[in-house]
Amino acid sequence: MPVTWAQALFMGLLQGATELFPVSSLGHAVLIPSLLHWSFKQSDPSFLPFLVLLHLGTATALLVLYRQDWLAIIRGFFTAAFRGQIQTDTERLAMLLLVGTIPAAILGVYLQTRIKSLFASPYEAAVFLVINGGLMIGFELLRRRAELRAAVTAASRAEQEEHFAQAERISFRAAAIVGACQALAFLPGISRSGVTIGGGLLAGLRHQEAARFSFLLATPTILGAGIVEVPQLFSSGVPVAEYLAGAVLSGVAAYASARFLLRYFRSGRLDPYGIYCIAAGLVSLALLHFSL
Amino acid sequence: MKSTGLAIGLGVLGVVFLIVGVLYAFGVLQIAVSDPHASHHYTHTVLFVVLAVASFVAANFARPKGTVYVTDRPRR
Repeated sequence: MPVTWAQALFMGLLQGATELFPVSSLGHAVLIPSLLHWSFKQSDPSFLPFLVLLHLGTATALLVLYRQDWLAIIRGFFTAAFRGQIQTDTERLAMLLLVGTIPAAILGVYLQTRIKSLFASPYEAAVFLVINGGLMIGFELLRRRAELRAAVTAASRAEQEEHFAQAERISFRAAAIVGACQALAFLPGISRSGVTIGGGLLAGLRHQEAARFSFLLATPTILGAGIVEVPQLFSSGVPVAEYLAGAVLSGVAAYASARFLLRYFRSGRLDPYGIYCIAAGLVSLALLHFSL
Repeated sequence: MKSTGLAIGLGVLGVVFLIVGVLYAFGVLQIAVSDPHASHHYTHTVLFVVLAVASFVAANFARPKGTVYVTDRPRR
């Protein structure tokens, strides 16, 4: 059954809002249509062009948000690559993003289809959403322990955060591990931004910088995954107008949620999202179990 | 870690990645693909082009630079 206008707009809003929040867009995209008894399936090949456009909408929003950073990063990448030496923080960030993208790209190309087809049911998405919540709370527990170990004392949370590093200071090994962690998000319910922000926190980044690194790392991954599927958009029977409207809404929602999260993480933590994921996962399991 | 041998090795690896990428693009290589009947595997091609670029960049980083040769020393 084709996607209606209302469903396309709703899915666009849902994808854009949940892609960058550490709550798993894929988990929500599997769970919510199932809970609303919508007839289409995320794993259906005819649904792929819609997902491609939604992701391109999100990636475009991130490119617009970080347009100045990306111009500097691209310039820095070519300068450092031809010189064979890193001299500035931007050049280092460009190389960190390359190192972080490679493991995600390898795992994405070779594992994504298999993992997604193995764990595509709403039950599994709900269970993984609970696990994602546990991970977010676990990351924050480890961070609080690191703060105690470093004897960080400050008048406010914002000042406390200043004791931690900026994205450019993360090690290359940590960037590769954080990049590889993106592959966990092929499991519906595990959040890509959640695991990468958590990985950044464990590597000693400030919350806001961990979110920035996560969003920068996400852009080539989401954009690359979307662009290679673009030919699918030109197959016959694709309701282009509905899909495009959903993609635009996805981009707007992603832009707004990224702006909100960057402000939130100046002093905020991952715990509220962890609690939300556990609650949402448990409620979904109950609803699915009792077929409500 | 800088050495000419490592730089050459990474350069060769980059060339190998490029060749593999081209083979996937023309459907000659069908290893670990989701649809073995497809005539092109552009996702794999993009991956191997990225790997090739990364190898060439790493090769340039590994290349010894600024070496002072004995003959460059000023004569007394």
